[in-house]
Amino acid sequence: MNDPQATLAEFMAERFGLAVDPWPEGGPLVPLDQHLVLAQALKDAGYTLYGYCVASHWPEEVPKKGDPIPEHYEVATGLRRPGKGTHMAMWRVWVDMGQGVPSLADVFPGADFQEREQFDLVGVVFDGHPDPRRLMLPEEWVGHPLRKDYAIDTGHLPWR
Amino acid sequence: MNDDKAPRSATYDHPLFDTLERFPGLDLATTTADKLLNWGARNSMWIFPMATSCCGIEFMASAASRVDFDRMGSFTRATPRQSDVMVVAGTITVKMAPRVKRLWDQMPEPKWCVAMGSCAISGDFYRDIYSVIPGIDTVIPVDVYVPGCPPNPEALMAGLMRLQELIALKKAGLKPTPEDRPEAPKMINPRIRRLGDPGRLPAIDAAQVAQALSLDLTEPPDLLAAFAAAKAAAEAEAAAEAQGAGAQPAKSEGEA
Repeated sequence: MNDPQATLAEFMAERFGLAVDPWPEGGPLVPLDQHLVLAQALKDAGYTLYGYCVASHWPEEVPKKGDPIPEHYEVATGLRRPGKGTHMAMWRVWVDMGQGVPSLADVFPGADFQEREQFDLVGVVFDGHPDPRRLMLPEEWVGHPLRKDYAIDTGHLPWR
Repeated sequence: MNDDKAPRSATYDHPLFDTLERFPGLDLATTTADKLLNWGARNSMWIFPMATSCCGIEFMASAASRVDFDRMGSFTRATPRQSDVMVVAGTITVKMAPRVKRLWDQMPEPKWCVAMGSCAISGDFYRDIYSVIPGIDTVIPVDVYVPGCPPNPEALMAGLMRLQELIALKKAGLKPTPEDRPEAPKMINPRIRRLGDPGRLPAIDAAQVAQALSLDLTEPPDLLAAFAAAKAAAEAEAAAEAQGAGAQPAKSEGEA
């Protein structure tokens, strides 16, 4: 996979059997146990720059047709391959409530603060994180404000 | 300034001579220590810039050569211990507020506070955000509000001159006359209430005041308990009102 002409789609299809044709919006949905393996494999393939980690909270949804979608998190990760012909590798994982995401902080040290931020604001727990503390909000903050069930008028005594 | 006393002559047309009693023919001038200290205090307002966002840029422009507040004796000092005036320029978040209060407590008396810009005054359009405090006056007392988003350097200069007037009046034991505010009745009530606003739960007001007065940063307050108590009190009050008014009991139980 050191060939710079090889595309990420081929790599993901060959190594992990992911359906990436057409390329899904936001990246392919990867099984949770493949999260760390895929990150390590991509790093070995040249994607050495940690781009982003964005978690989102999805409340329970009951569509008119079909099965109800349970409450869950989605964590999107993006890596970059620096140098000539830059590629961006991105994928998502589905995280059920109460489940933890394997932390990438051991593979990419840059993931440390990003994962702390996502834990702070959204509430996803990253398993094996070296420093699982809040990053943005004060230590004594109650709740995770970017969750959909966080009320906007939640006070924070004595300041507001 | 003492408006009732006109300058004695054009020779002595200097602010200091308004506070002096000169004796003709003698190289002697007397005044009271209070007047002299007052004059010194309002003409050497050293500023501690609490600049957290874009208002800080306008604050820097005020310190630059065009609108130069150095000429009224105001310098910026990056330490609270040498400062007289704290200019809060920018949005203050919940995480920043304890630091602002600690810095304010470290400033020696006498001290004054200028809230510069909409965010420091009321939170402005960040007011409803979970992490922004709705105005710096929920944390520290404010003497002068300089409106604007951000206020231009001339506005800040006007605010500082207004503060000079306030210092002169307060030292003389007088009260400033409030300015006419014809636009005040047009103000809309914000959706999220803050301390003292009508329609806010009195229990939350009481808890906020109590915790602000006994602020202990080493032991953060038990917020969940405070909110649960405030909510329970409000619900009990609503239930009592519903029973007293003979309203539909089933609906109130369902809401509770």
